[in-house]
Amino acid sequence: MKIKLPESYKLLIIIPLIITISSLGILLSHGLEESVDLKGGSIAELTLEKRMDQTELKTIIQEKLKIKDVNVVSMKGNEATVQMGSDIQVDEFTRALEGTAKVKSYRSVGPILGKEAMKQIYWTVGFAFLFMSITVLITFRNLIPSLAVIMAAASDIIIALGGMSLFKIPLSLASIGAILMLIGYSVDTDILLTTRLLKQRKGKITERAIGAIKTGLTMSGSAIASMSALYIVTVFIIPEAEVLSNIAAVLIIGLSADILTTWLMNLGILRWYLEAKS
Amino acid sequence: MRKGISRFIREPRTIILIILVMISLAAISTLGIPQGLDLKGGSIIQIQLEKPVDPATMNTITSVLDKRLNIFGVKDVKVRASGNQNVIIEIAGVKPEEVARIVGSPGKFEAKIDNKTVLTGADIVSVQSPIIRGNQWEVPFRISPDGAKRFAEAAEGKAGAPVDMYLDDRLITSPEISPDVAAGKPVTDVAITGAESTRESAELKAKEVETLLKSGSLPVKVKIVGVSSVSAELGGEFTKGAIIAGLIAIIAIIIILIARYRTPVLVLPIFFTTLAELILILGVAAIIRWNIDLAAIAGILAAIGTGVDDQIIITDEVLGEEKVKRRRRMFRIREAFFIIFASAGTLIAAMLPLAYVGFSRGATGIGMLAGFAFTTVLGVLIGVFITRPVYAKFMEYIIG
Repeated sequence: MKIKLPESYKLLIIIPLIITISSLGILLSHGLEESVDLKGGSIAELTLEKRMDQTELKTIIQEKLKIKDVNVVSMKGNEATVQMGSDIQVDEFTRALEGTAKVKSYRSVGPILGKEAMKQIYWTVGFAFLFMSITVLITFRNLIPSLAVIMAAASDIIIALGGMSLFKIPLSLASIGAILMLIGYSVDTDILLTTRLLKQRKGKITERAIGAIKTGLTMSGSAIASMSALYIVTVFIIPEAEVLSNIAAVLIIGLSADILTTWLMNLGILRWYLEAKS
Repeated sequence: MRKGISRFIREPRTIILIILVMISLAAISTLGIPQGLDLKGGSIIQIQLEKPVDPATMNTITSVLDKRLNIFGVKDVKVRASGNQNVIIEIAGVKPEEVARIVGSPGKFEAKIDNKTVLTGADIVSVQSPIIRGNQWEVPFRISPDGAKRFAEAAEGKAGAPVDMYLDDRLITSPEISPDVAAGKPVTDVAITGAESTRESAELKAKEVETLLKSGSLPVKVKIVGVSSVSAELGGEFTKGAIIAGLIAIIAIIIILIARYRTPVLVLPIFFTTLAELILILGVAAIIRWNIDLAAIAGILAAIGTGVDDQIIITDEVLGEEKVKRRRRMFRIREAFFIIFASAGTLIAAMLPLAYVGFSRGATGIGMLAGFAFTTVLGVLIGVFITRPVYAKFMEYIIG
């Protein structure tokens, strides 16, 4: 693998910045869809007992439960996923579908619980980011390189959220798990880079950086490859395991963004810092 | 090379790792891996109380609910408080609708004469098994002498007047006051009776009334705010899917590593280290009975993912410069571990708030992801302290 570092690295810092700002723009203009966990409502996986199409199933549920907000999210053979806007008790739902379908899984979340979960998300993500930042500051005890790492992590999170907004991945407990994971995981390559550039004394900055890039790309490559495998398997084999496919999708976006933020932005800032210092 | 292998095998860290892997394998095969509700099938019911309560009241509520579910024959049930206003009930392999009904009732018992309450649930001393005759049912119970006296006083001279018995403000039955009681004689043995359309529903109804009387009343109104249930069949599919996903992920990683290093001598140890980490995590889960659910599986994947990253860092540090002196190589491995510990630190730091919510609030809201935080932290700790140092020793003695 031959890598040549460009001289105009300061200009390259702009690329991840532009992506981050546009992600922020997408996020603010399109917003995030919220899953049943957060906005309240009910979701059920069904095994149909007789053949019917989506509208038939929808009408049956609407009539039996006397509700309007019913959405047949997917239907494959005799498997169907249905979402309802209000939190219907599971016994009521099972009774309504007697003879039509068997309930494989059911989840209903009242609006109070959803609001509570949303509040928890803000706190958990906020503190996760804060604790990560403190750990980075303690590790390097050097303000500008630490801030560069923290900035790269913030960009990764914003790009991941922007990606969620763009690809309509709903904000759910699962995708928040992935965001938390990303907060801790995406800084790995930044820590590698910063350590190699600040702690190693031998070799030119660019040589050390190239070594770090090789290692870092292998790390990102294996992580993205394994998450892609997880995503493909869950989407095609177990579409019900939304927890896993959502986590995988968010991590794929975030870790791909991390390649840009680490090697264009963080490396750029560090080179700038080291050159200004010497 | 041969000298390197014998040194590697005699290394204390290697021996400890081998012993721990064997203990884990033994634990997994004898104790089994405890599965979460979403893998083995089961339900989580989330309950919200009318208002926040103090710990003592919360205790009463959880024990009343627990007792009720046990009386109703629901096995494998866990009732736990979550904060000061929520209760979470976890049940394995039962239909949640029955549980929802039995839990949802406050169980407030009142007997009224002339619309004045003379008996409450607090007066009930014991409840006998229901008697079913055809579609008629009867639940006999005994009240305290105090309650009986109060009842007799209220009933004095009112022979033939109805006693309205309410359960959760629902009128269940209105037996007439017998001449005996009306004469002022306290009676401690009373009964609630009723009739349903079939024998089956009479049995069910009687059981419900019995349960409510037996378990006492809940001090506050409760409301079911969330239900999440997964059938055993779907749970099985999840398990199968997770295993397939894990295998394909490992294959994907191996392909990337072979493309990068072009030698199985490096890929195999990384594979075995990863496998050892997986076995150790599952071993710990088996020993401490930590339920592995979908979120926990995601956590295991995350921990293993960082493990592969760390091994790549170690490998590149050792291979970075050809023919380096031993002291220099030691220095480089130390540097690799600086990166590894810092990375582990940030990941654990990011997971701490989630773990905190999970432990303090249980499986509600974001606490559903507690398994994710726990297995990630556990896996990372096992990795940085046990398995990855062994990999470093392997690199140092055999490859370096």
